[in-house]
Parts: sequence; C-alpha cells; structure tokens
Amino acid sequence: MVRVKSRYLLCEIHVSDPSKLLLLEDRAITAAVKDAVTSAHGDYGAAQCSIGFSVKYVNAHTGILFLRCPKSSYRLIWSALPFITSVERKGRRISCFLSCLHVGGTIRTCQKFLIRYNTQQLHRMLPKCKTQEEKDQVRRAILSSSTYMLKGKEHKEERD
Amino acid sequence: MSLFMDLNLPFTADKKRLKTLLETAAHLGFSTVAINYFHEGQSKGKKEIPKPTPLAQLVDELPIVQGKSRPIKVLNRLTILVSDASHFRHNAAEYRAYDILAVQPTTEKLFHAACMTFDVDIICITVTERLPFFFKRAPINGARERGVMFEVCYAAAIRDSTMRRYTLTNTLALVERNKGKNIIVSSGTDKPLELRGPYDITNLAQLFGMSEVEAKDGVSSNCRSVLLHAETRKTACGIIYTVKTPNDSQPKDGPPLAKKQKTSAS
Repeated sequence: MVRVKSRYLLCEIHVSDPSKLLLLEDRAITAAVKDAVTSAHGDYGAAQCSIGFSVKYVNAHTGILFLRCPKSSYRLIWSALPFITSVERKGRRISCFLSCLHVGGTIRTCQKFLIRYNTQQLHRMLPKCKTQEEKDQVRRAILSSSTYMLKGKEHKEERD
Repeated sequence: MSLFMDLNLPFTADKKRLKTLLETAAHLGFSTVAINYFHEGQSKGKKEIPKPTPLAQLVDELPIVQGKSRPIKVLNRLTILVSDASHFRHNAAEYRAYDILAVQPTTEKLFHAACMTFDVDIICITVTERLPFFFKRAPINGARERGVMFEVCYAAAIRDSTMRRYTLTNTLALVERNKGKNIIVSSGTDKPLELRGPYDITNLAQLFGMSEVEAKDGVSSNCRSVLLHAETRKTACGIIYTVKTPNDSQPKDGPPLAKKQKTSAS
C-alpha cells in the first residue's frame, strides 16, 4: 500500500497590526484560501481545493501556519496564495498577506525548518532589544532552541 | 540561495511608511530594492525631473536582510511616462543622479523607439489597462540584444480582479512573444501589505506562462543584469569611467578606528 502523498506549505502571515494576529484561527484561513483559489482558478481550482486540503496548524502568536495540499495540485493552490489580502473572522476583516517560507513533503521536515527559522528570527531580534532583561530572555530562548536541535541530532545518531 | 531584488518601490514622502516598506522587504528576503521616482513627460510647461532624496534623509537605519547579515541595499530609480518622443532626452544631466532609468511607453511607435534606440535599462509594461498595441517580434528582439529588460508589476493584480485580468492578458502577450526571457517581476506598490515574498512571486510568474527557471530569473539574475546594464550606461562603451574628484580633501570622519588604535599604542 502506497501512502497518499501531499505537500505541506509552511506560510508566515503578516498583519499590519500585531494585536490582531491573535484573532486568527484555522477555519477563517481555510475560507480565505478557498475563496482566493476560486477567484483565481474558478470551479476547477475550487474542486482541486476541496479534496485533501486542510489547515493543519496555526500559531497565532508567531503567525505561522501549515497548509496541507495534495501533491498533484499544490502549485495551483500556491499560485493563488498571493491574492489573499484579508481574512474574515467574526465579521471583522483582518488585512494581511501570506508568504510561503518552505514546502515540505512531511510535517516533520517542515517542523525542522521552522525551528531553524525561528532561531534565526531570535538572532534578528537580539540587536533590537532595549533592556538587559529582554536580551537575557532572547539569549535563553536561542540556547534552548539550539539544545533542542542538538538533542534531535543525538537521538538520530543513537538510532543509527 | 540567490539574491532577490525588487526594483520598483514607489517613493513616498511619508517616512514612516517607507521605513515599514523597507523593513517588510528585508524581512521577506529582498537584498536589494530600488526606490522609484515617477516622472510624467510633458511637452508644455516643462516639469522638473525630481531630484532623488538622499537615503540618509529618508531612513536612519537600514534593516538587516532575512537570512543574511548585511543591511538591505537601496537604489534610486527614475521612471518616465513617455507619451511623445521628445519627453525622453538622451543623456540628460538629470538622469545621472539615478542608478536605474526606466521608461513607460504608451504607443506602439514609442515602444519601438524605446526598444531600439532609447538608452534605458527597463521598459515598463502597462498592467492597469488594456494595451493599445500588440507586441511585435522585431522591437522585442532588438531590446533583448541590447540587454534592456521588460518589467511587469504584480501589485495591481493583487488589488482587484479586473486589474488582474489586464495584468494577465498583457503579460501573457509579452511572454508569448518573448518566450519568457528578459522579464523582471517587481512589486510597484507603496503599501507594505501588498508586497509578496520572492518564492511567491516566482510561483505567481508561472501563471504568466513563464517556466520555473525563467520565473526565478525574473526576481534574481535578470534584476542583477539590469544593475550591471545601468552601470555600463554611465561609462563609455563599458570600459572608461569618469569620477569627479571631491575638491575639499579634508577627511570627514577622521581615520578609521583600527588605525587610531595603532598610533595610540606606539
């Protein structure tokens, strides 16, 4: 039995007002993506989008989301993503845009990439910190993320 | 990972907005951007070509590019809307202040002239309305031989669906004649929320009928050749380069820090 292959798009959501980021949830994003695909590719696109498409994970704090698409039509869905300008939630419009960071075959590879990406973001954050307390916090976060990566490597070596 | 560029960020006097625009571009991974000054050619009541504002006045600190340790590089670009052949003056002194020079022709004759004779780096394709002419193979081949690039802006396509149709029609027509070569894709928006990431743009460009490689070239290596073409425009045959030597030879910031330390030690 061959497993069903799909592609996972790791996207970052950018909003103008960071406080509105917490309003995001998966159903609103699914609706927004489906609307965009329908408007860009018509009925054919909507049909492609209805099977095997789902929003797997939303992190409202960092604005990260995983989209699962069937392997055959992920390019079609991806090409419609730039046309998303807003997400509607409870009658309120949150203007935003999605930028794709990574395309992976499994969630695991996406997670690995995301850890690396977030460490990079922490490194970018470090020079912007104003107080010593903030600096220490960011440093600790970087350390913990890198030790996590190392632990993952050790596990892998043990298994080998 | 290649260097991505966005050669069309319209100039806004609003400093705060420009700052967020540059920050967003840097966050998305663009390592070079060009601030675009738009000039409408007029025959009567000559309008002055705007002087580029020095970068130091616009932003205090350039943001660091995503995934790199260097700050973002910002260039100046002038776009002239040409509706008459006299609007473009060859070798005008005003053009020298800009790094990149672009024209936006409105008629077929001017498009032909822009491709064959005008000394420019970029020819903008109108995407907000239906083009009044068809692309012919001769001028497009001429432009390719001279190394002039065609530019397509995608921001209008994001805004609403009629514009999207025009963008797609005009670009599809261009790509069909051009076989996807010599095209750069840039944003052309002053709103941070209308910028898109480089990989999204390459995927969007595939909708325009370009192949994967051509689409990626559209945001990376073709932009680089625009910059190199712009460099050679300032030189004689791309060989000789003249620089005005500054008359006042007094040092600005004193000797660099490393040298200072040496002298104090000895």
